[in-house]
Amino acid sequence: MSEHPDVTSMATRRKWLVPAAAVGMVAAVSLVGGRLAIADNDLAPRTAAELLADLQRSRLDQLSGTVVQTAELGLPSIAGLTGAGGAGGPSGAASLSSIASGSHTWKVWFGGEQRQRLALIGTLGESDIIRNGSDIWLWSSKDQTANHFVLPDHAAGGMPSRPTALPSTLPNGLPSGLPTQVPTTPEEAAALALAAIDPTTRAEVGPAVVVAGRTAYELVLTPKDATTLVAQVRVAVDGERHLPLRVQVYSTTATAPAIEVGFTAIDFAAPEARQFEFTPPPGTTVTEGMSSALGDRQAPSTPGIDPSKAAVAKTASAPRVVGRGWSTVIVATMPTPSMEPMLALLPQVTGAWGSGRLFEGTLFSVLLTDDGRVVAGAVAPEALYAALSAAAAPAASQPSPAPSAPSAG
Amino acid sequence: MSAAEIVESARSKSARSSGDSALGTSLPVRGWAFRFFWSEVRLIAGRRRNQAGLAVLALVPVVIAIAVKMSAPSPGRGPDFLSSITSNGLFVALAALGVEITMFLPLAVAMLCGDSIAGEANQGTLRYLLTVPVTRTRLLLVKYASLVFGAFLGVAIVAVTGAIVGVAVFGTGPMTTLSGTQLGFWAALGRLGLVMLYITACLAALAAVGLFVSTLTEQPMAATITVMIFVILSWVLQGIEQLSWLHPWLIVHEWMSFGDLLRDPISLDGAGGGLGIALAYALVFVSAAWARLASKDITS
Repeated sequence: MSEHPDVTSMATRRKWLVPAAAVGMVAAVSLVGGRLAIADNDLAPRTAAELLADLQRSRLDQLSGTVVQTAELGLPSIAGLTGAGGAGGPSGAASLSSIASGSHTWKVWFGGEQRQRLALIGTLGESDIIRNGSDIWLWSSKDQTANHFVLPDHAAGGMPSRPTALPSTLPNGLPSGLPTQVPTTPEEAAALALAAIDPTTRAEVGPAVVVAGRTAYELVLTPKDATTLVAQVRVAVDGERHLPLRVQVYSTTATAPAIEVGFTAIDFAAPEARQFEFTPPPGTTVTEGMSSALGDRQAPSTPGIDPSKAAVAKTASAPRVVGRGWSTVIVATMPTPSMEPMLALLPQVTGAWGSGRLFEGTLFSVLLTDDGRVVAGAVAPEALYAALSAAAAPAASQPSPAPSAPSAG
Repeated sequence: MSAAEIVESARSKSARSSGDSALGTSLPVRGWAFRFFWSEVRLIAGRRRNQAGLAVLALVPVVIAIAVKMSAPSPGRGPDFLSSITSNGLFVALAALGVEITMFLPLAVAMLCGDSIAGEANQGTLRYLLTVPVTRTRLLLVKYASLVFGAFLGVAIVAVTGAIVGVAVFGTGPMTTLSGTQLGFWAALGRLGLVMLYITACLAALAAVGLFVSTLTEQPMAATITVMIFVILSWVLQGIEQLSWLHPWLIVHEWMSFGDLLRDPISLDGAGGGLGIALAYALVFVSAAWARLASKDITS
């Protein structure tokens, strides 16, 4: 061996090429594999208006699939509010009240207007919403509870003709001037919708994308307003069936989508009938009638929220709207700051308008002033301060409940 | 290291080498490999400390069954599946697997990995193994196969003990899936079998890492501790939400996804990914162990 040190070391080194190749293969398969399905460009070109018309005309009879929903809203991780899993020990929680942040996987079965099932997949748990005719069941495997209620007859056909898990996350302020005329054709409706958003938004069709293994058009909505935190809204529309497959909302502060809801797998075959049948298993606590199954479990542990105070809050003065389109800011009044323990977690800010606590998210900001006003919008905090000053001028006749010494900042 | 073990190991080694040399290399490779594998398995199962480890693993389902029998937990509290045990005894096995997969089972695999190559090198038996007509590649593959079998043995001990104790104490009522439907006893037993196979696959990936670590050192304890640190570090990283981009690459990422096999219908969203991760780890680390062992000077 000692006579041929070079040969030995060469052979030795060559051996290490095998694990290196294995690493390369794994990396290639995992990184490229998902994207290897190159969008096939055979899709007939479509304008934004045609795409919107297609969307409206699409009919959904049945499907089953997997929907992954990711929200990176920059919410502070307050235990009990976001329902984040504990460190190390994987938490099996899949509770319907914990979907506000993080990534979640849903299983969707859609068997026509009368039968739908949604399952929120947790590591070692599952929460289901099952509708079969007029029966609706909520099931939680973690708590072993089932909640049953019956839809009144007149509502039985009134469910949307699309699975409820399909993206409905377009920001509320989007169509600022909804058309008042009733459109008669999808094309007309699409044209009206585009005309309505035109002053604020640029709508165009991007290059084809692949979502859940299907080639899709992508409708890209870009706000013309530079002050909003919303950079882009992208809607992927199936090239063949014209169903929305994915919605992404991008923030100006991050490269990854702030909100993403989309199919990762989709199958248009009819789901089995038994997917929609639910019989509470023995040992289950069954509650009949509409109750607070959707979030009451965590509500008592959330500090400081008193239902009676929340009721009072509704009677407070009507919110004022400042600005237009994407940079709309809402200024409302809360009678009593009722969430002090949670507010203490937010940074304190001061300005010419007073002082308060600021939540700065990736898509929106909320300012809670010490004198009980709430200012919110899909804008950076500076725009909130400006809106507060603008709103304060006409509202000066209404004295604020606890005038604190304005600190010049 | 007890004297009895050294004797046992030496005896099995001498039996191995004498048998092989007597038959020479003309023996069909398959039969030869199986006998080598079988002697490895006997070695693993015969070690006193391994038997003690299996007994500890088997203790957990027994403790769970007794605790639940004494006071039935209310739903939503305690480890997963605990409250389901009272309706179907097989959940004792599932709850025990869920508890043990985080630390106990990986620890068992880490112990076996420490003995695998580093242990032989430490006892000076590795070079004797290589004097019999066996290529290092085959030696490594047999070692890996026996590690995977050892992992399965650990999983099976937990599951079988859990199932027997659970059925004896709580009976064989229908099993409620995570989706809220019910399965008959045999279907439920089938699901338990799938869960066992899935967890074995996860641990097989860890065994590959352990095999590689084991070729790096001649101290079995060092190898065992390194593998455990690797597992604990993976769990810690998995728990840090800011590192979510890293999570799909962690070996433990989908370990708890065995729950996917308890849904109706069976979902492979998590468990399928888990098998992919396991395959990737096994490929990379077994080949790294091969490169290391093949190029290593074996002096002891």
